[in-house]
Amino acid sequence: MYNVDAYLKSLTSNAAKLSKKVQDGIAENTRDFRFENQAHFLDTNEDKMREIRKNLDSKYEKEKLDGLKRLIAMISKGRDVSEFFPDVVKNVASNSLEVRKLVYIYILRYAEQEQDLALLSINTFQKDLSDKNQLIRAMALRVMSGIRVPVISPIVMLGIKKCVTDLSPYVRKIAAHAIPKCYQLDPAQKDALIDIINTMLGDNSTFTIGSVLMAFNHVCPDRLDLIHPQYRKLCRMLVDMDEWGQITAMDLLLRYSRTQFLNPIGKTSATTTRAKKEKSVVKSFYSDDDSDISHHSSDGSESSSDDENNAVDPDLAFLIKCALPLLQSRNSQVVLSVAKLYMHLAPVEDSYKLGRPLIRLLRSHREIQYVVLNNIVAIASQRPYVFDQFYQHFFVRSTDPVFIRNLKLDILTMIATESNITFILRELQEYVKSSNKGFVTEAIEAIGRCASNIPEMAESCLGGLLKLASSKSDSVVAESVVAIRRLLQQRPDDSIAMITQLTKLLDDMTEPLARANVFWLVGQHCVQLTTIAPDVLRKAAKSFCSESEGTKLQILTLGGKLVAQEGASSKTINLLFQYILNMARYDLDYNVRDRARFLRALVYGNQNDLQSGGSGDQNQESDENGESEEHRDHGEDMGGFEYSEKELNLSDHIKAILLSEKPAPVQENPSHGREQYRVGSMSLVLNRVVAGYEPLPEWPTTQPDPSVRRLAAQMDAPGYMNDHTGFGSDSAFAKSRQAAGGFDASGGSRYDGQAGAYRGAQSLDKFLESSSEEETSSEEETDSDEDDDGEEETSEGEDEEEEEASEEEEEEEEEEESEGEEEESEEGVSSEEEAILPPTSKRSNGRR
Amino acid sequence: MIESLFVLSPTGKVIIEKHWHELIPRRVVDYFNEQVSKAIASGEDLTREDVLPIISSPKYQLINVYRDGLTYLSPITKEVDPMMVFEFLHRIPDIMQEYFGQVSETVIKENFVTVYQLLEEMMDDGFPLTTEPNALKEIVPAPNLINTVITTMGATTSASTRKMPHGMSNLPWRKAGVKYTRNEIFFDIVEEIDAIVDSTGKAVSCEAHGTIQTNSRLSGMPDLTLSFVNPRLVDDCSFHPSVRFNKWESDKVLSFVPPDGHFRLMSYRVNLPSQQNLPVQVKPSINIGANGAKFDITVSLRNTEGKPLENVVLTLPLHKSTTTLTAHCNVGQYMFDPVGKVLRWDIGKIVPRERAPVLSGSFGFGTSSEAAANAGYNIGVEFVINSHSLSGLKVDVLKLFNESYKPYKGVRTMTKAGRYQVRA
Repeated sequence: MYNVDAYLKSLTSNAAKLSKKVQDGIAENTRDFRFENQAHFLDTNEDKMREIRKNLDSKYEKEKLDGLKRLIAMISKGRDVSEFFPDVVKNVASNSLEVRKLVYIYILRYAEQEQDLALLSINTFQKDLSDKNQLIRAMALRVMSGIRVPVISPIVMLGIKKCVTDLSPYVRKIAAHAIPKCYQLDPAQKDALIDIINTMLGDNSTFTIGSVLMAFNHVCPDRLDLIHPQYRKLCRMLVDMDEWGQITAMDLLLRYSRTQFLNPIGKTSATTTRAKKEKSVVKSFYSDDDSDISHHSSDGSESSSDDENNAVDPDLAFLIKCALPLLQSRNSQVVLSVAKLYMHLAPVEDSYKLGRPLIRLLRSHREIQYVVLNNIVAIASQRPYVFDQFYQHFFVRSTDPVFIRNLKLDILTMIATESNITFILRELQEYVKSSNKGFVTEAIEAIGRCASNIPEMAESCLGGLLKLASSKSDSVVAESVVAIRRLLQQRPDDSIAMITQLTKLLDDMTEPLARANVFWLVGQHCVQLTTIAPDVLRKAAKSFCSESEGTKLQILTLGGKLVAQEGASSKTINLLFQYILNMARYDLDYNVRDRARFLRALVYGNQNDLQSGGSGDQNQESDENGESEEHRDHGEDMGGFEYSEKELNLSDHIKAILLSEKPAPVQENPSHGREQYRVGSMSLVLNRVVAGYEPLPEWPTTQPDPSVRRLAAQMDAPGYMNDHTGFGSDSAFAKSRQAAGGFDASGGSRYDGQAGAYRGAQSLDKFLESSSEEETSSEEETDSDEDDDGEEETSEGEDEEEEEASEEEEEEEEEEESEGEEEESEEGVSSEEEAILPPTSKRSNGRR
Repeated sequence: MIESLFVLSPTGKVIIEKHWHELIPRRVVDYFNEQVSKAIASGEDLTREDVLPIISSPKYQLINVYRDGLTYLSPITKEVDPMMVFEFLHRIPDIMQEYFGQVSETVIKENFVTVYQLLEEMMDDGFPLTTEPNALKEIVPAPNLINTVITTMGATTSASTRKMPHGMSNLPWRKAGVKYTRNEIFFDIVEEIDAIVDSTGKAVSCEAHGTIQTNSRLSGMPDLTLSFVNPRLVDDCSFHPSVRFNKWESDKVLSFVPPDGHFRLMSYRVNLPSQQNLPVQVKPSINIGANGAKFDITVSLRNTEGKPLENVVLTLPLHKSTTTLTAHCNVGQYMFDPVGKVLRWDIGKIVPRERAPVLSGSFGFGTSSEAAANAGYNIGVEFVINSHSLSGLKVDVLKLFNESYKPYKGVRTMTKAGRYQVRA
């Protein structure tokens, strides 16, 4: 009884003590709970600054943490707190991981400034490299290699060497990361580092290998010979690496393959025509059977005789196959890297597989859409058929940002085919309703581009544009008339009916640009428009005074052309023209007066001395106006100069001068040029070379020795490197299902966590290796009869005349006008063409 | 190589600055802010969202991500695949979301030490290191109450032997030694409809994007196989790294060892045959004159298998010159924002076979302009249908290998409007 009592007593007193202790503890700690909110560290005044030093020296972890947090707050506010370095460095050996991590952040930030003091910390790191906790070892090496003080490079080197053989794949990964850092500290260590990399390439852990390849790409990107023995292994491991490792690995394998295999893309492309190619490709797309594809390509071209040469190298085919599942990655760069691989390595048929995954990325963040669309533009400009069935995904939403909208329009015009054009056109006409002017302009231009890309559909495009030309909105009218004019220049056959339609609209058109274009069109085609043209001129004469400058110029030109066409036979036209000339003579604008003088001289000969005197003055004026244009024109019109020296009577050649065929403008997609860059690169997105851009190596012309990969013996990697961390791997999974013991048995040993993995690693590994070997060889056989269809590179001529994107005719025209005048007076013929250009066509049209 | 990161507040001030390689001076942020405001001022109705994601400066390519009002800016000196930078930059708010539950200027400031620690672990010398939430949580503890208690108690009782995280699991995405007393796993299948519907009610484009959000609370190293009744519906998909690609290719099942906690198991796309699948029909009619317009909008249900539409909201951005608006609706309430020129109609719930909600009224332009009269209108539609899968994708069976317990399994489905737009 007594015992029990005593026991109870002691129990209650203990309980009381305990509860008091707990209460104290809580009371003491309530103040700490507010630390969950770290914001208060951010407002640090001078008093607090002084406290920091005291905190750092404190023996309490809590206060040290306070001090460190305050320091980091200062760093993030952009203040220089390097003065605390000595106080911080003292804490590097703290027992608290929490403290250390913050110390590391600080040291890494200021080590470069305080090199001597930073050395004080090295000792601790070296000791930590032998810690039994893998995280500590890894962290020590990370921080040590991150201290950018060249003196310590030998120590870092030692650290790397130590960690390379570490049992933990995480530590080995960190060691691989340290290699490029060490190389930066001391480039003289390169050879030793390459040795290390070479050893590490034998690492079979999917966890580590990505970082090793990263180190390889940084330190010795050209030592591709080191990859030979590892190539097949890398391909096999690709699917199990972590996302970032996959990206690095694909970069490397792409470069490797470009130097080690013959081009599987281009062998037949030189001779096959585009149409033929498209047909065969489309067919093969719908047939699921692989053998079908090879059939097509072999009978589609002359290549059946050298079929063997056309077969894709089995090793390359293996890579292409191994990369395929990565298209299902959630990481958009991985998907794009596969696209890069496929575009630059794989036979053309394979690019069909890229369509869906790339489209999927369009559901992602705005920035990712931007990059994907840029890449789709580049891919579609070479292989539009990859995307033509997905046209709906490029429809613009009212919420899309500007840069997305424009890219989508570009793509829509590129992938338009006869089968989807109706939908695309309908959609484009919808965009014209947008309240954003810039977008409307783009949309109308896009309609024009569609029409010139697919001549079969030009008629319906023209129909659509004509409808827009009668729209209520001035800018829409202007843009669509310009687009029509451009199209008509390319398709002189449909012109007449179209122009007739346009002239009917002329009365309601108010936009000067649109009117100017119509007048030019009528003038240019006045030969076929014998009934309408004079009437248009009559109306123009009536409204001449109220027209804008650009339109007046076109009316003058129209008159000149009509007179040139009809000659002196038609009195009415002559009278009308003279009336217009007289009006123009007293116009406020000197360009109009000049043009009038010029035409008068041209059409009616040099009867009037006044005019020639006038044009003499003109020379000077235009010298000022058209400076930039001049040089070029002088150079180009030399022929014209000789011509005029013969002192021919210009009026004999009026027809030739005024009514010559004008070359149709070349319409270029604004995104043109992207396809020359590597898929996925920044240079492609920006459409210019960015510093550090390296084009892909050219394909070798002769087959490099393929046996280097085969001969590479299965070098027995040290056991510690053989733990397959790619546990979720497909191969491992497949294997474990096959294994006699069933899934649970074989899997169980690996699930025990680390220790178990190391133990079972060796045998399991061999097992896996041999099994995947079989897989490989059988795949090689099947893949080898896959044929390539030759690349279809519709390389657009670099030297194509560029048409300027801007549509501000007025200024351009002014320049051209004055320049025309000037040439006329001294050299005559050749430049007239230039002077009577259609309002929107730019300098390119002037070339003959 | 991603050398530096600046996280900027909505006003362009630096909240977080982190250099993984060499220091890049803060000046670059001023330059960036200048370019952004220039870009926004360069055209009418441009917003921050219209600013290019890559801005060139004389020395750097300024790669920037704009998300939740914050800018993640990374100046790049050398050629790098920009997609990788964007992907990484987006991972940062993703991880912060996972750690702190939300992302904003205040949240970052409240947790800035943790943020710095995370950034330190996510990247090493310009190369992504650890980006899996599960692995990160091993190294940098998430700031929940229990952790705080442990930290503060631990700190006072024994300053020396803090429990160090020991095991990195062999799977980068899964922690080692996970233990739950109650083993359960939940799948949320959320489908979003993207559609453009023209004024006649015909869908110009129409598709469903689904995600399977998973919350796994299972002990040990469970190996799961999830199969669907009708996997062939899926047109295109992407997976969490844990999913074995080949099993999907061969058997159309998802075979995976799940991470612990929340993660997105799979995203997929389903092509919808045509518009009869759309659960709702919005019929707008807008008659525009020179000074204003009369409009009415009718919303009717279609094909929802008898389930109600919830949280229905229609937004109609009006032309910039709109000044006045009067309207009447029989269900819900409408609001006109005279600054942003947006009409927002909050309908709430629509139950099948009840009268269709109608909003009618008129609005006027301040100055009569032809541009306003010719502009087209787009109505944004939002709604939610619970326990409904538009595509009809159904989970069949979830099998568990490698562990002996029987987990509780839950599957929920939901259909939402994604980028759903009706042209008027």
